[in-house]
Amino acid sequence: MASDIVNTNQVDTEDSEELFYAAAVQILSEDLYPRKLEIIREYIQNASDALDDWIRISDLIPTDRTEPQIKVSIQQKSLLIWDNGIGMTEEDIPKLKRIAYSEKKVGEEAGYKGIGRLAGIAVADKLKITTTSYGDPKLHHFEFRAADMRRDISDKKRQGKNEPASPVIKRHTSTWWTDIDPDDHYTLVEIRNIKDSCEELLDPDVVTEYIGDIGPVDFSPEFEPGSLISDNLRVFVPDYSPKAICLSSDGKQVRVYKPYTKEMKVATPQFLDVRDPDNPAELLAYCWYTSNAEEILDKMRATGKIFSVPGEKVEDRRRFAGLVYKLFGFSIGDRSLPERTLWTVARVRAQWFTGEIHIVDKNVQPTTSRSDFIENVARAKLYAQAQSRIPLILNNYAQTISDNRRAYQDAEKAKHDLEKIQAQLNNGSIERSDIKVFKEELEKSFRRLGTRKNTSDKEIGNYQKEVRRLAESLKEELNNPKKLKKEQSVSDLAEALHMPTKARKVFLIVMETLQQHYSKDKDEYHSVADKIRQALKDKYV
Amino acid sequence: MRSPKLDTSFDSNPAKDFIRGEYDKAIISQWRTELGKQLKYLGLPAWKMLDVIEWQQFIDRFTTVEREENQQHLMFLRANVMNVEHRLHSLYGEFDDILLNGRDTFGHAPNWPYELVNLDYFGGFIYADLSRPKAVRKLIQNQATYEQSFLLIITQQLRDGDTAKEKWGFLKDLGKSLKSGILDTTLHPAVDEIISWYMDAEIPDCARQTLYMNSFLRDAGEAEHFDVACRPAIIYPGTGGSWMIHFVTDFRFHSGVGHKIASNQSLLELINLGLLEAREKGFVPTRFVQPKLSIRRKK
Repeated sequence: MASDIVNTNQVDTEDSEELFYAAAVQILSEDLYPRKLEIIREYIQNASDALDDWIRISDLIPTDRTEPQIKVSIQQKSLLIWDNGIGMTEEDIPKLKRIAYSEKKVGEEAGYKGIGRLAGIAVADKLKITTTSYGDPKLHHFEFRAADMRRDISDKKRQGKNEPASPVIKRHTSTWWTDIDPDDHYTLVEIRNIKDSCEELLDPDVVTEYIGDIGPVDFSPEFEPGSLISDNLRVFVPDYSPKAICLSSDGKQVRVYKPYTKEMKVATPQFLDVRDPDNPAELLAYCWYTSNAEEILDKMRATGKIFSVPGEKVEDRRRFAGLVYKLFGFSIGDRSLPERTLWTVARVRAQWFTGEIHIVDKNVQPTTSRSDFIENVARAKLYAQAQSRIPLILNNYAQTISDNRRAYQDAEKAKHDLEKIQAQLNNGSIERSDIKVFKEELEKSFRRLGTRKNTSDKEIGNYQKEVRRLAESLKEELNNPKKLKKEQSVSDLAEALHMPTKARKVFLIVMETLQQHYSKDKDEYHSVADKIRQALKDKYV
Repeated sequence: MRSPKLDTSFDSNPAKDFIRGEYDKAIISQWRTELGKQLKYLGLPAWKMLDVIEWQQFIDRFTTVEREENQQHLMFLRANVMNVEHRLHSLYGEFDDILLNGRDTFGHAPNWPYELVNLDYFGGFIYADLSRPKAVRKLIQNQATYEQSFLLIITQQLRDGDTAKEKWGFLKDLGKSLKSGILDTTLHPAVDEIISWYMDAEIPDCARQTLYMNSFLRDAGEAEHFDVACRPAIIYPGTGGSWMIHFVTDFRFHSGVGHKIASNQSLLELINLGLLEAREKGFVPTRFVQPKLSIRRKK
């Protein structure tokens, strides 16, 4: 207890000394969120916790059939976050003025630091919170006049005055209540008159994308593998409860989903768990992942390489490359965090996949900025176990994908070449003189097929066999003279060239000599003879 | 699914409910049918947005103007509770200023044009600076810029006497206007007689106000190429003990007209519209019966 560690050397007057000054509130609020969109996360997090709290008790109130939801709206220069969760009670309202005060228990809810609910004061003129809880006939109002407070603090500083934080906060906050239907339960947060420098908070596209990226939302029904992933997450991640979040702006309302869309071509998702070595029945984390896919042999197959989606810039195309940690449905860090914390070799392979690592062990806690986890024993255990499992499995899978993709591509290329030869054979356009070249082509195809043996994909393996069979049948056909183009005999050519008798005899002797010379390589003889015939035709016909 | 309701008991009364929920609603429904599309609304609905909620089946988006910050915040709350927040476009400031300057306090503009405008004024229509009539003229001009027909509903407090000077000047002009349109001078005494009746300080101001408002709207509309059709004004007891007066007027735009147009509804018909009185849940016979102007041409 704090009272047990009193410094006995302190003089009594220090006990009443103010240790926290108003300027600190301003500094804290402004520096806590270098990326202003993080402020939205704080309110979504509080709203999500309020919905969870409501869902826990809603069975006791069968008359209430309201669908739990969070609604974010942009109204001119105000950002509004509404939820019909449990709401706040009369006792909760004065506590809104307390900085970093929270009654939420670590590991039970997404937010717990008691800072987020005032996050809006960093970016706006006013923060207004209106709330009521089920059974409470009062609608409670809280107002934090942030711009006034900033001006006040600046004025005082110019005068060289340092005012303690508490009176300043009290001066610039108000609470009151009005009557309301006691059956109502909701909270509305208005971040009012947002600064021009924070305009991203008022951009509906940016906000939708941000909530989809970081929020506890479900997969779009249009993203086909989404239902399979959701079903698995519901089974293995105890707190997995995606929320219905809608965003309204300019007369439009959109339901916010995770950023996976039907336009993304992905392979069937895979799943893996990370278990507690001390208690293997307990999960530390649960991961789903998938890679880019293409339709190969009438089926979507993982194709590997860095996960990408359509987009103009590289960073847009690779936006979803990598896994992301999730805690209570919220993202922790970006997609580089698992790569940095789990992969020690072949790190680029981490980017071959997109997916999520849901942290099940709630002793793993996020930092205030939600960019990482707090360094503690639970994190060390998670990282150690995940390092020995996730990169290993994903890297091996990446190798398999790569092998299969190359096996298919080689077979495809060989088939393409072979089909060209077959077409030429079928229309009788292959001359005897070309046979050597074609046979070399065939050999190349055989070699190519030979280097990609033992593919783990049975259907690709069958495809390879099919191509090999085609190559073998072509080999036989090339040895069949009836399939080749009928060529002009040596004497026919002599006739066509009107050779005198002596010249004809000489020509026949030369050709017979050549034939004898190439008796072991008839294809080569035909190649040379054809060149001679062509040269004579070019010169004399 | 239950829809939670905020307490609305102090913002309406049975007469107002009747006008909003039956009289206006029927006209709006007809207007919606005539235009063949959902209506875009501009108005001063107060934070509970009783009109918007009542008429929401005919409304697409709605722009509201609120001058009280806490009231605007409550309007956001109400919109969320009633699941209409995505259709709300809320401006902050004085309505007349927004119309005259084109922007609200934060620099945002209305989404012109509108098919339904409901101005439920707190107070009367005419003040010393005439900002309200000027703002309504500006509203009509803006609608004309987009060649958009619209239904205009105006409700104001009936405040006896405070606009007498303005209205008397107007009545004199109206008399002149009527007489200039009637070539047969033998009929002019009838006009003088009815104008004198309206100018009599003893008659209730609601009668004067009825004629004044309808004539004002007609004049402002016709100047912007609208065929204006007025209805009888409705007086009813307001929530705070004061009397209210309510006007519903059609503005149909006629494109290609190079100058002021004449409405199908004649000035004579307009003068004779008179007024209705609503109490509780319906109309009641009114004490405020004005003389009808009857002009028949000699054969």
